[in-house]
Amino acid sequence: MSFEVFRDVVKPIVVGFGITAKRLAHPKVTIQYPEERREQFGRTRWRHVLTRYDSGLERCIGCSLCAGACPARCIYVGAAENTDEARFSPGERYAHRYEINMLRCIFCGFCQEACPTGAIVLRKDFELSNYEREDFIYTKEMLLEPVRD
Amino acid sequence: MAAEAEKKEVQVTINGTKISVPAGELLVESVKRLGLEIPIFCYHPRMQPVGMCRMCLVEVGFEQQDGSVRMMPKPQAGCTLGASEGMVVVTDSEAIHADRRGVLEFLLINHPLDCPICDRGGECPLQNNTMAYGPSTSRYVELKRHLPKAFPLSKYVTLDLERCIQCGRCVRFTEEVSGDADLAFRFRGAEMQPSTFQLTDFESRFSGNVIEICPVGALTSTTYRFRARPWDIEAGEGICSQCSNGCSVWIDRRSGKFVRISGRTNEDVNEEWTCDKGKFGHEYLNSTERATSPMIRKGDSLVPCTWHEAYEAIVAELGRGAAASLVGTRVANEGMWLHHRLFHQTVGSRDVDFRWTRFLPPASERIGSKLGSPAVQGTIAGLEEAKRIVVLGCHLAEDLPIVHLRVRKAWAKHGTDVAVAYHSPTEAERFASLPIRYRKGSEADLLRSLLFVAVERGATVPEAVRTGLDAFSPEAVAERTGLAPSAIRALADRCGEGCAVVASDALLDVEGASGAYQDLAYLCSATGSTLHFFPRGANSMGAEALGLLPETGAKDTWQIVESATSGAFHSLWLVETDLAELPEGSGALENTPFVIVQTTALNETARFASVLLPMAAPPEQDGTWTSCEGRVQRMKASLHPPGEAKPAWRIACDLSILLGGGTPYFGAAEVMEAIANDSPSFAGCVYSSLPEEGAILDLTPMPTAPLAQE
Ligand code: SF4
Ligand code: SF4
Ligand code: SF4
Ligand code: FES
Repeated sequence: MSFEVFRDVVKPIVVGFGITAKRLAHPKVTIQYPEERREQFGRTRWRHVLTRYDSGLERCIGCSLCAGACPARCIYVGAAENTDEARFSPGERYAHRYEINMLRCIFCGFCQEACPTGAIVLRKDFELSNYEREDFIYTKEMLLEPVRD
Repeated sequence: MAAEAEKKEVQVTINGTKISVPAGELLVESVKRLGLEIPIFCYHPRMQPVGMCRMCLVEVGFEQQDGSVRMMPKPQAGCTLGASEGMVVVTDSEAIHADRRGVLEFLLINHPLDCPICDRGGECPLQNNTMAYGPSTSRYVELKRHLPKAFPLSKYVTLDLERCIQCGRCVRFTEEVSGDADLAFRFRGAEMQPSTFQLTDFESRFSGNVIEICPVGALTSTTYRFRARPWDIEAGEGICSQCSNGCSVWIDRRSGKFVRISGRTNEDVNEEWTCDKGKFGHEYLNSTERATSPMIRKGDSLVPCTWHEAYEAIVAELGRGAAASLVGTRVANEGMWLHHRLFHQTVGSRDVDFRWTRFLPPASERIGSKLGSPAVQGTIAGLEEAKRIVVLGCHLAEDLPIVHLRVRKAWAKHGTDVAVAYHSPTEAERFASLPIRYRKGSEADLLRSLLFVAVERGATVPEAVRTGLDAFSPEAVAERTGLAPSAIRALADRCGEGCAVVASDALLDVEGASGAYQDLAYLCSATGSTLHFFPRGANSMGAEALGLLPETGAKDTWQIVESATSGAFHSLWLVETDLAELPEGSGALENTPFVIVQTTALNETARFASVLLPMAAPPEQDGTWTSCEGRVQRMKASLHPPGEAKPAWRIACDLSILLGGGTPYFGAAEVMEAIANDSPSFAGCVYSSLPEEGAILDLTPMPTAPLAQE
């Protein structure tokens, strides 16, 4: 075995495996997604949720401030008037239509920041893949948090 | 304006810069000359200053003999103080900033911070001033004033009393501009509320304007309520097509859907106002009854078809017999002209008309051909310069609301003497120095009699007009008109040099209209008054200028309807006309085998259609509109036509090609170029050179018309 073969072939192999061998002793970082899931950071910003007050009334008042703040222009809010018979939110106004186009959303969280009532929040559900483009338009029904009992 | 420019100029110093301004000019206006701004709430440039809100505080001093400046001990309201020689004004000292913060904090004590749900939020002077000059936090923790929210002041206006900052703009608008003085303040201090006197409905033809001038969201539009926020909206430059005033408006849309109309400044026409007919009359754009697809009759029912099928049916049927066309006035110049050309040259029929008054002056009777001068001899803005105004035989506020505002402004601002003659009470009577109420139906007698008095006073009229005039002395018609002879004489005396006579084509609906119409023209020409004989239909003036009229020998509207009823026509082409609405309409529709209905709406008439062509509404197409004063203004397409609807010019263009060949026009701009080549009066209206505020057509008839005057 010439000196060259030792230097260019054998040594790199030995050194390389040496690193692998050293790593064997470290804790594992790969997890078995989707069976296993990692805890997310506290301020992770993923799928939006329209929240409710404890009374069950919607927080959203249909003000469109989120739509105005959104840099991707992907929110549509259509407002309507609450009546005593059909009350959705406190006060005069509620959102009768609320849509987010998740394909355009860049998950910046500006909408959450702009919202005066804390209605729209970005939570931790990140599994947003789907088959049809239309399915990425999240409607108010999809976004609204269920009433807690 | 001219008079103001001649006023003495004075030297004032604003923030250290010396400028000369007209004496007495309000400081809020003077500072604009330097590009500065004094924040305001209650001040409005078109109304008298009242100094109610104190937002406009500035420091003011005067130069003394020795060159020093002596400041006033307290800040002054810039909206009520006029400039005078040697005045020193400071608009951005520390003290003034503190004052502004104070005023805003004070105003916000009772103002609810419900901006997120307020329709004004985003375009609100109170928000803007607070952002720019106000305190960033509130020290007020006590209970705010609580008052009814969303109180319906009228069908159109919603009042939120909590938001009112008591600036009085709305109250002053009804007192100073619209003149109905419907609103007033009740109570005092923090309790002060704008409202109607007896808590009745706020009924005004101009109520929509208070929504726009309210500096907060206290007055909001009921129809626009919660439809959109300002940042959701895109605005298109439009012209209102509800009447012939041709007001400039913004047509606001959200996601392509019409949401509201706001006034757009055009000093020559509507200044910045709109009338309620215009502001709230465009809801039809969103109607579900719009025509969206061409349709063709199959047996008893109309079924949707392609444009091609509809055109084929028309091409096949039009040649089968006599054809006539009736056109409504809500069609742009381009559509009118191409339709007329198609009908005249390609179809070869001369029976086409756009007029809907009972009396339709035939070609030889029209004022233009009779007198050699147009029927509209002055402009709307020009009314302000008239010495006297006589409103004759029309309900001006109803027919032409914005002309009414101008007449009122002439009276209010320049002291113009106004006389009104009409058979019922009108708004103009409130300020007229000579309000006359004649008996309904006696217009012709009154006008004859006015002409009699004019001739008596030495005016000359052609012999033919003079015959029989002697039977119409004021004494002789007193009985029939129900007027004292002195009143008729007084009215006739108003006419003369410098007098503007304002009338509308409502005069053509009265009994004896042909005589009344002619006498009105001679009364004006003989006395030297300027005649303003305004048509009411949106683009009537355009139709007239483009010659969409039956020539001598051809049938006019009522003759067409009559002939159609007796089955004289094989095809009848209706453009934006609800003929079935008229009592004689359904007969004409039933007895015509082939009815083409070109329409924006699926109205009564559409049920009679053999072929239905959906048409784009005015704001859905590029086009120019000719207003009652002959002003051609451009309206840009702000909305998309629903479904497959097409603008009138495109329909006419398509059919011209199918019927007679030729090359298509590729846009309304090209059609206008063709119009300009065709009729020289439109030469200045080519899109590239048409000014923002529009161009007035020269409507003086061609000198071929005989001049009857001698
Ligand atoms: S996260 Fe950002 S991009 Fe997504 S909807 Fe909110 S504001 Fe728009
Ligand atoms: S989510 Fe918040 S910001 Fe968006 S419309 Fe509703 S209340 Fe307004
Ligand atoms: S309603 Fe509006 S315009 Fe009228 S006084 Fe109040 S704040 Fe002023
Ligand atoms: S703007 Fe001067 S006091 Fe209101």
